[in-house]
Amino acid sequence: MSLPRIAFISAFLLLTFAVQEAGIARINFPVTGFSLFLAILIGLMALEDRSGSVIIGFIGGLILDLSPTSNSPFGQWALVMTIIGYIIATNRESIGDFTTRPGAFVLFVAIVSGLTLTISLIAGAMLGEDNGTIGHNIIVVLGNTVWTFLFAPLVLPGLTRLRATTLSSRER
Amino acid sequence: MAGRGGNRSRLLLVILLVTSLFLITLDLRGVSLTKQSRSATQTILSPIQEGFSSIFSPVGNFFSDIKNFGGTKAKLNDLKKENAKLKRDLVLSADIQGQLKKLRGALNLAGRGGYTVVAARVIGKGSASTFSQTITLDAGSSDGITKDMTVIGSYGLIGIVKQVTATSSVVLLMSDPTFRVGVRVARSDSVGVVIGQGNGHYLLQLLDPVGDIKKNDVLVTLGSDGNKPFVPGVPVGKINSVNNSSASLTQEADVSGFESLGSLGVVAVITKGAGHDPRNALVPTPEPTVTVYVTPKPDSTTVVPAPSPTVSKKGK
Repeated sequence: MSLPRIAFISAFLLLTFAVQEAGIARINFPVTGFSLFLAILIGLMALEDRSGSVIIGFIGGLILDLSPTSNSPFGQWALVMTIIGYIIATNRESIGDFTTRPGAFVLFVAIVSGLTLTISLIAGAMLGEDNGTIGHNIIVVLGNTVWTFLFAPLVLPGLTRLRATTLSSRER
Repeated sequence: MAGRGGNRSRLLLVILLVTSLFLITLDLRGVSLTKQSRSATQTILSPIQEGFSSIFSPVGNFFSDIKNFGGTKAKLNDLKKENAKLKRDLVLSADIQGQLKKLRGALNLAGRGGYTVVAARVIGKGSASTFSQTITLDAGSSDGITKDMTVIGSYGLIGIVKQVTATSSVVLLMSDPTFRVGVRVARSDSVGVVIGQGNGHYLLQLLDPVGDIKKNDVLVTLGSDGNKPFVPGVPVGKINSVNNSSASLTQEADVSGFESLGSLGVVAVITKGAGHDPRNALVPTPEPTVTVYVTPKPDSTTVVPAPSPTVSKKGK
């Protein structure tokens, strides 16, 4: 993964983060919220190669750690997203190429979004965070997964096209 | 080649994991760099949030409004035609009027308690990717707001200021599972702690095992030393049910808050408490019930002037 691509993706993630924090977070979704940032981050990670998934995961996690509303220690999201990046990287062959399978891509992003929140909860519990009752957390995770599943089809095709335009001829 | 690539990936993974753990350690040890970075992010984000606020404020409650949406198709079409012309103005007007009503309520509550307040608009809500329940206000340290100040709405407690920048502040909502507030039962003066549950309900744990609580009892804040983080006398909520389990050492109760934390528009931050404890002066009194008696109309063939409906107000 080239440095200019890392810089471009970081800038894109920062922009998405601003939209998420300033805009999407203001909408009162029933049950729980939808994280556009997580959907885009996981989408990007799924499209990258092995080391790309881990690097993008780490950068995206660091950006999430910047969230002023976060209660978790700085670095926790970086740790969680690096682990998610590694899980995606190690299953790269079985996951295959999502660019030709939009349905599977949406399902994958929704499921990994739920998995990410679950791992974040586990990491938080290990670090002594109080995130409420298990029942409430299950509702939050499931709600986020469902919203991601519903909204991801609006975002992921554009993301796939955007990524294709940023690839160098060698990377293609 | 594949082996070398795999080794490189593993090395990269180890480096990134160690970096993450290093950052977590720094944060847990209280290194200010990490806290400053979040504060800086808030400073950068607050103008963007203000910009988005005007766009998203009318549509923020779109999904909850859908639940209350009813009426027949014909009626809907009529209403659509009727409203099409003024739709935009009405939405904005309703939004502004709603915010004005909330502001008036918050100022009224603060006035009755003798608190000095700074009114602020809600410009952001906690991210969906974090589990903490917060809101962001468009007022900060330049308006006199500091950390650990009490935040109230039209009817009672909303939360406490968790983080402040020059132009904005982040408020931890009372629904957050980490939120704890010392309360007093207005009727019996029993003392307890109200704990956030992540939703509109709260758990009251009474400190006195034989304390006197019952359904519909109103809870007010007990107050903190130096009025931080809580000023005394702010209404917190009302008891829904008392759980007297023989297995538990304390009495517990399910409490519902006075404020709807999902649709906050304008709030007030208490910058200075009253010189005295307002005790139960802010406890909400029930609204008077308006009963309308309609006398049945006489037969339409009889030419008798129809009596006007009698409207009487009944206090509870």
